[in-house]
Amino acid sequence: MKFSLDWLSEFVDTAAAGGAEGVRALLDQAGFPVESTQLAGSDTVLDVEITPNRPDAMGHRGLAREVAAMAGLPMRDLEARYAEPDEASRGESAEHLASIVIRVPRLCRRFGARVVRDIGSAPATAGMRRSLAAIGAKSISAAVDATNYVLWDTGQPLHAFDLDKLAGGLVIVRRATHGERLVTLDGVERILEPSDVVVADAERAVSLAGIMGGLATAVTAGTRNVLLEAAWWDPVTVRKTARRLGMHTDASHRFERGADYGAIPGALNLASRLLVESAGGAAAPGLLDAHGSAFRLRRTVLRLARLRLLSGDPSLTLDFAEEALSRLGFTSERRGKRIGVRIPYFRADVRREDDLVEEVLRVYGYNRLPTRLPAATAPGEFREPLRIVEDRLTDGAAAAGFFETIQYPFVDRDSDEAAWGEWLRITDTALEPLAILNPLDGTRRHLRATLLPGLLDTLARNIRRGAEGAAVFEIGRTFGEQGESDRPESFESRRFAFALAGEVRAHWSVPEKLRGADFFDAKGLVERLLSPWLPASALRWKSVAVHGMTAGASATVETRAGRLLGLAGTVSIAERQKRDLPAAAFAGEILIARIPSERRLFAYREFSTLPAVTADLSFAQPKDLTWDAVETLVRDARLANLESLECHDRYEGSGVREGEVKTTLRLRFRSSERTLSQEEVNHEVRRLAEALGSRPGITVSGWEKA
Amino acid sequence: MSNDPVEKVLRSFREELARGVSSRAEFERLKGAYLGREKGLVPQLLSTLKTLPASERAAFGASANAAKNEVEAALAELAGEIQRREAASRDRAAAVDVTLPGRRGHAGGLHPLTVVRRRIEEIFLRMGYSIADGPEVESDFHNFEALNFPPEHPARDTQDTLLLDRPARSPLLLRTHTSPVQIREMRKHGAPLRILCPGRVYRKDEVDATHSPVFHQVEGLLVDRGISMADLKGTVSTFLEELFGKGTHARFIPTFFPFVEPGVDVAMSCIFCKGTGCPKCKGSGWIEIMGAGMVHPRVLQGVAIDPEEYTGFAFGLGIDRVALLHYGFPDLRLLFEGDERFLRQFAGPA
Repeated sequence: MKFSLDWLSEFVDTAAAGGAEGVRALLDQAGFPVESTQLAGSDTVLDVEITPNRPDAMGHRGLAREVAAMAGLPMRDLEARYAEPDEASRGESAEHLASIVIRVPRLCRRFGARVVRDIGSAPATAGMRRSLAAIGAKSISAAVDATNYVLWDTGQPLHAFDLDKLAGGLVIVRRATHGERLVTLDGVERILEPSDVVVADAERAVSLAGIMGGLATAVTAGTRNVLLEAAWWDPVTVRKTARRLGMHTDASHRFERGADYGAIPGALNLASRLLVESAGGAAAPGLLDAHGSAFRLRRTVLRLARLRLLSGDPSLTLDFAEEALSRLGFTSERRGKRIGVRIPYFRADVRREDDLVEEVLRVYGYNRLPTRLPAATAPGEFREPLRIVEDRLTDGAAAAGFFETIQYPFVDRDSDEAAWGEWLRITDTALEPLAILNPLDGTRRHLRATLLPGLLDTLARNIRRGAEGAAVFEIGRTFGEQGESDRPESFESRRFAFALAGEVRAHWSVPEKLRGADFFDAKGLVERLLSPWLPASALRWKSVAVHGMTAGASATVETRAGRLLGLAGTVSIAERQKRDLPAAAFAGEILIARIPSERRLFAYREFSTLPAVTADLSFAQPKDLTWDAVETLVRDARLANLESLECHDRYEGSGVREGEVKTTLRLRFRSSERTLSQEEVNHEVRRLAEALGSRPGITVSGWEKA
Repeated sequence: MSNDPVEKVLRSFREELARGVSSRAEFERLKGAYLGREKGLVPQLLSTLKTLPASERAAFGASANAAKNEVEAALAELAGEIQRREAASRDRAAAVDVTLPGRRGHAGGLHPLTVVRRRIEEIFLRMGYSIADGPEVESDFHNFEALNFPPEHPARDTQDTLLLDRPARSPLLLRTHTSPVQIREMRKHGAPLRILCPGRVYRKDEVDATHSPVFHQVEGLLVDRGISMADLKGTVSTFLEELFGKGTHARFIPTFFPFVEPGVDVAMSCIFCKGTGCPKCKGSGWIEIMGAGMVHPRVLQGVAIDPEEYTGFAFGLGIDRVALLHYGFPDLRLLFEGDERFLRQFAGPA
């Protein structure tokens, strides 16, 4: 908000306050940071940030009060400026020319008016126009400029009606009727509702209370008689109406934040004097001052103990507190170790004791308060075990070569998540996506139910920008759960997802054909990431058909008890083509909350230091015989002293029949009691070869000492 | 020239040796020719011993043995030499260009926001704060009302809210700050309490270099007996020094947040110019970095903590902003594009 240093100087000696720089520092101390200062002729314009709790500082008088209070300077005595314009007023008194009726006393606590008659068409005085120009306000006409000037002077918004256009000279403050129409000053026809408050004449609404006047009764070049309005409007009502109608004016901005109930007469007096000075005519004697429900002056108490407790400063005194409050316009009276304080009308934000503490400390200066550290305690901890899981996943993925990324969660369920329907279904996603009422982008108004599509987009962006490969992951929330509205947290699911494209094993020493990623990179990553909680042997992998993944090269992973943990696989051709991803692309997602939060317990098991005997066994098998089934067959053979079993090789190609694959097992035998002989190991391998060979479809091709 | 057969064998051996033996094969031939059990010249010399008259045997035996020792010693030395030469040649064959790139595997890394968040967490964990978490989908109650933002309060204008299209007793929204976690934690644990709540927050902001509808905050809260502004100042100053380095000064000026009273705006001495004024701090020497204040008594009452018994302070700052200042990149959008060329710049140890 713009303020003129010259204008402020009318209220306080800004030179004594240190000029523009001094004022800037004082306003900082007061909590009104100056964003910029700009020279404008002999004047300086300050752009000041005013927090929404301080409507009283949205005018030069109020801001000057802050400068004076911080500097300890007196406010100039300007009583005359806001006093009744006695000398200029003559003729019929205002109460004969207009009358005011307040039908909504709680929403309009006070409605004041002054009448100025017989004005000419001269513009505002040069001084007024200069002041307005300094802060960037346009000059329109004497009457409008007078109201604007007073707004920027006192902070009190005013409105000027052409009195002759007010039917019956009547001003009625009432609720709008349903569907009532009013064309406002900006030429827009507004359709009103009973929740809106209007100023009406005998026939129709003529102004939208506290927001904008009506066009039909506005002051024009031909206007001779003016009714100036200054009122106190209910902040919530003004705000609701302004928001519903998409309006925001200097007036509504202030009324929404709470206007100064006490400023009304002075503002009207000043405005009528300025209008007469500019355009001639005379103010009709008398101020019309209608009251709604009483607006009581608030009082509260400030205890010395509370002041010292909150500030942490035992040297603060009630003498200082009284002085500080008095500079800011509060009145107080001492009662032992406390003071009773009357809060001025213009400080709608101050209600309780702690507010007064802030007022005192602002004058004292926050930077003068002492500094200390709260007493030490034991170190903190993570309240949420899942956070620890998340951090470990993050570290694990980064160590495995993936970069952490953050995607916006805004998607369109139908277009972005269509390919993941089956995945959404098995993760119990609600059919109806969680949608944003007021989205930034109407084409992405849903909240994501899986991290995968966004992550694949990021992957593709890297490729599109020229990267040969990329490996990314994200830890974040998805919002597809069947939530209960009264438990907002129930909509969320914590997820980890990864995606990779291009050559994972690229190195000058690796032949080109071996560089691409495949399903087992994806699976291996999941196994590795879950290993702090679940060994690979505790995971069950099941083929799954999700459109986003290649059928037959994607799988879900579960615990042995059948609890779904995640998904991993090769990205489908369609999803790749949609994003121009290269052939070797894989992705996966882990449901973090389903990982047991207790880490695995590791216990020592004795191991044999005797030598091992290793043997390889090869056989051709149908492709649809799974490794899981082969492992089971081996286990069932109960080979003596078998220490470990590995899948050593898988081969398809010449020498292997169509539909079959040649598998080579590597068996390691070891005893904890004695060195095994080759013969006894051979005996066991032969037993296994016979057992396997007896299965239909399996042809053992040989075995050898490895 | 002597016709002594021993001399003759030795002479020819020395000549052959002098001609040089370059390969193992040559060595083996030489060794066979002189020491071979059947046809070796030295064993043959020795085998003539028994054909000699007894008087000559002693002298001949001595000289033949000496020759044998010489040949054996020379061949042993030669064997060592050949072995060394072979090893060197094997090493030569196995030599690599040590300046070629090593097999590093793909380097990954943490997002700069994670790095910054963890640094902040570490500082406060040491100060006894526990790390708390809350949902990103929130109720109007937790996000606003309980924090003393009444319905239709203009303070809500400062936080353009993304509202959710789902009927609920208290309207659902995407949290606009991490402050609702304060409410959840105070309701759950009461006082005294020290918590830090990092998290993702949302506002209806169009995307540009300094705005993003998704950003990150960290909120701190300490409630205990006798807590004052002095504690707030000390905590914030210590934190800023730990995060931005010794010599970082904090400045405290009043401001307004509905959930604190008094409210505080914290600026720190510009980390780029050390307070002398530069474009980064718009010449002021100060950079706004945090909001803070004493917890509003209405907020405490709302969570059944007696504000006469307990007082507390809260503070909040933007992680994205800290990252921006810390790493010196110009545009917030870089954080959300997932471009590896950006991300790998922060890929320190995980």
